[in-house]
Amino acid sequence: MMDVGRHPRIKLYTNSEVISVSGKAGNFKVKVLRKARFVDEIECTACGDCANVCPVVQPNEFDEGLCLRRAIYSPFSQAVPSAYIRSAEDCLGTNPIACGKCMEVCQKNCVDLDMPDIIEELEIGAIIVATGIDYYDPREASEYGYTRYQNVVNSIELERLLSPSGPSGGKLHRFTDQKPPKRVSFIQCVGSRCIRRDIPYCSRICCMNAVKSALLIREMYPDTEVDIFYIDMRAFGKGFEQFYQRACQDKKIHFIKGKPSRIEEDTKSGDLIILSENIDTSKSERLRTQMVILSEAVVPASKSKELSEVLKIKTDNRGFFLPQDRCGDPLSSNRDGIFLCGCATGPKDITDSIAEASGAAIRASQYLSDYKLPVVKEEIPEYDFSGAPRIGVFICHCGSNIAGVLDIDLLKIYATDLADVVYTEDLLFACAESTQRSIQDSIIQNKLNRVVIAACTPRTHEPIFRETLRKVGLNPYLLEMANIRDQCSWVHGEQPEMATHKAKDLIRMAVAKVRRLEPLEPKEMEIGHNVLVIGGGISGIETAIQLAKRDYHVYLIEKEADLGGWVSKLRILYPTGMSGKKLIDQKVKMIDPQKIEIFTQTSVKDIKGFVGNFEVILQTSNGKAVPDTVQVGAIVLATGFELYQPQQNEFGFQKFSNVITNMELEYLLESQKELSFKNKPVKQVSFIQCVGSRGKGGLPECSRYCCQAAIKQAIALQKMGLQVTIFNRDIRVYHHEAETMYRQARELGVTFIRYTVDELPVLLGKKEVEKIRFKESTLKMEIEVNTDLLVLSVGMRPSRQSIEEIQKFLKVPVGMDGFLLEKHPKFGPIETNIEGVYICGCIQGPKDISDSIGQANAVAAKVDALLARSTILMEPLTSVINQELCRGCGTCVDVCEYGAITLQDKDNAVIALVNEALCKGCGTCATFCPTNAIDIRHFRDEQIESMLKAFLLEG
Amino acid sequence: MASKDGPAKGALIIGGGISGIQAALDMADAQFQVYLVEKQPSIGGTMAKLDKTFPSMDCAI
Repeated sequence: MMDVGRHPRIKLYTNSEVISVSGKAGNFKVKVLRKARFVDEIECTACGDCANVCPVVQPNEFDEGLCLRRAIYSPFSQAVPSAYIRSAEDCLGTNPIACGKCMEVCQKNCVDLDMPDIIEELEIGAIIVATGIDYYDPREASEYGYTRYQNVVNSIELERLLSPSGPSGGKLHRFTDQKPPKRVSFIQCVGSRCIRRDIPYCSRICCMNAVKSALLIREMYPDTEVDIFYIDMRAFGKGFEQFYQRACQDKKIHFIKGKPSRIEEDTKSGDLIILSENIDTSKSERLRTQMVILSEAVVPASKSKELSEVLKIKTDNRGFFLPQDRCGDPLSSNRDGIFLCGCATGPKDITDSIAEASGAAIRASQYLSDYKLPVVKEEIPEYDFSGAPRIGVFICHCGSNIAGVLDIDLLKIYATDLADVVYTEDLLFACAESTQRSIQDSIIQNKLNRVVIAACTPRTHEPIFRETLRKVGLNPYLLEMANIRDQCSWVHGEQPEMATHKAKDLIRMAVAKVRRLEPLEPKEMEIGHNVLVIGGGISGIETAIQLAKRDYHVYLIEKEADLGGWVSKLRILYPTGMSGKKLIDQKVKMIDPQKIEIFTQTSVKDIKGFVGNFEVILQTSNGKAVPDTVQVGAIVLATGFELYQPQQNEFGFQKFSNVITNMELEYLLESQKELSFKNKPVKQVSFIQCVGSRGKGGLPECSRYCCQAAIKQAIALQKMGLQVTIFNRDIRVYHHEAETMYRQARELGVTFIRYTVDELPVLLGKKEVEKIRFKESTLKMEIEVNTDLLVLSVGMRPSRQSIEEIQKFLKVPVGMDGFLLEKHPKFGPIETNIEGVYICGCIQGPKDISDSIGQANAVAAKVDALLARSTILMEPLTSVINQELCRGCGTCVDVCEYGAITLQDKDNAVIALVNEALCKGCGTCATFCPTNAIDIRHFRDEQIESMLKAFLLEG
Repeated sequence: MASKDGPAKGALIIGGGISGIQAALDMADAQFQVYLVEKQPSIGGTMAKLDKTFPSMDCAI
């Protein structure tokens, strides 16, 4: 968030609306209404004096009305911009009782009650709609008593209650007795998947959100029991299944299949009685609980329809914006130059939203090619940081995340007494925009030349604070963070005194190290502008197309003889019904041969080099000439997946002659109007889902595509007059229109039967499967379904061969599931730990076509952002070799994972040399060096030793 | 500012939640002028209200 606030090329219009759009793509004229804030956005320092004197009290919207704000207020502590805002409706104004207290108290005269609304006209090349979501009002589902019963809350209210910076300081208390509930029950799908409520789709995020909250509650209150009433548990994303299984293993979290019909309140105790039918036991149950959380549906952002009229683009009847093609082109609207991303087109989780957002960015960029801003050298003030250490220690409260456990005053006094510390300050949120400015002021006023931030993790926040230092001219590497949140208050919440003691240790160590840090300068390097895309499936093709549109030269290589991968083999794509081949043909037509060089039957022989300067050697098996080496600035890995191959006799595979995989069925559907198999007509088809997914033998996770694919196939079969039965563990149709497909399948007569891993369906027959026997939970009896053809919906698995090949040249780590590991599962799903190397599509984990296309666009955007400049800055935290001490033994060369060290002759002696562009600063070489010739910048021996000494000797 | 026909143009992003923020940063990093319009007084959207995110339990802000 803060990166947006201080980015030189982003102009932020908050409290604003788009009121008109005229013109055409590449040349829009847009009017933006900037509603008056009544507070000077630039001058306001968010000191809060105005709110302190404001007599008006109103519910705070950000905290869902669970706490109060003034008429002049900051929506939340980390708001960007941090400037306060005055609500004209709430304010008493200067009339009739002439309040005006805020104006009197503001020392900088920021408050202006006469500030007018402004309309600004902007010259716009392309538009991205990222309007997000709102939540369904559960009062409509009156059977659950939301707002009638105090102890029924919705999931976003729970989110605020669980937040340490929220209205209750992170304590979950019942509203009736202010005590922690002994039992909390979640009800899923409140509004979602319900035609009656006009929300026919799955809201996609609520299952995992409930699991997350359940785990958090269990961690905070070990005695509290949690129930989750659900219809299907949709844990379909990367890492979700394991997350769900973690909750399943907790004996105090109960997953109950079935949607409650009603809630009653015991007015005396405030307890709630949930009436439901447990689908697994077929029993009607009355469950007494102490608090109910409604997982309410996600609905389009308010005013979406109005905006669609301004933009002249289509929405569905609910108000989500309609993409051109939900499968093949999920980011384009029906109007040229306007793109859609994230929840604007339907509910999505953060990972999928971020991928689409980046994807929309590359599409919009293509309309702005002529308007690229020149690289302007930022003016950084001169700042003298030489001389004896003058250390400033800033201690963050992180709301009550840290301050709720640690004694901040004590830490402040403690830090003040440490050697060379000349300044200490505590901050409510060190990362808030206004606080950053105050840190900068403190640095200048106190002539600080070293900074310690005692706060959260450097993993996410070090870049922010380095930037804070850099902006005032202080070398950004003269900073050390002490992680007193993750390592103290979070893990030792039960022992505040000991946690505070540990925080003292960490601060003392950080001070010891920061004293010895040296200023470092990143090196600037020239970079190439060609891109290598490995893999010619839908992801690779899409990436190449989008990069070519931004004028990059792309080498697209494919192992097989043709482009298209798995998609070209599919007969029908959901939800559009188009054939896979047609989609691939459409995409191939968009390939500009001037900019995209395609090499089929080609693979990589070797990759050398580093970000911006990779040297790739290609090899071909078709005898055609390929360039020996290509120079590229970035590499995109898009080699896809393999399908799980069932084991011998796994669900009768290769034991019975009429058991096939869903891919084999796809081929059968290709050629036939009536289905026959081995010359016998087929009348009854059964599917078994999750073969090779969700544990045992195959992938530990959900393969994500198979429920939707099976339903798509079932609809086609049922329409051919066949009877279809789908044996499933949960139906995980998460795609925006897939719930409708699921409903259509049921209406057409497809039978859905649930099975569990403990009670698998039993196959009966001699040479062929003739019947499938299962236990029906309602009737409690065994039932048999006649079957002519059994289809196993097989999961995706990583393509070991191609991943092993890649790993020979690029050390991209592999996750527990065998797929390549992304940089961060939420915020860096397409980046890897190697700069300049990106992943997209199913090489990162199971995905369907629209997800893969979204990611492919996103990768193009990341490559564009990397290569848009002609140079890049290299991180200076690398190893350095003292040539006097090096004996040239080569141990470091052997242990370096990144191939960054080589032995070279110098003055008749062999010594090791580090290629700083390749070095990751991991430090392995330094620990192995027998002569102690290697040091890591920023982690030099004397710096680490000083920390150890501070810990062991000065405590 | 380099331009072919008339005044320089930028990208308009409507919505300042996680998607809008990401799109804005990517475009600005690729050297384009970005205008980010948000109807609320602060950017952040729904995600700013979340304390932790699944499945990694990272801080949302």
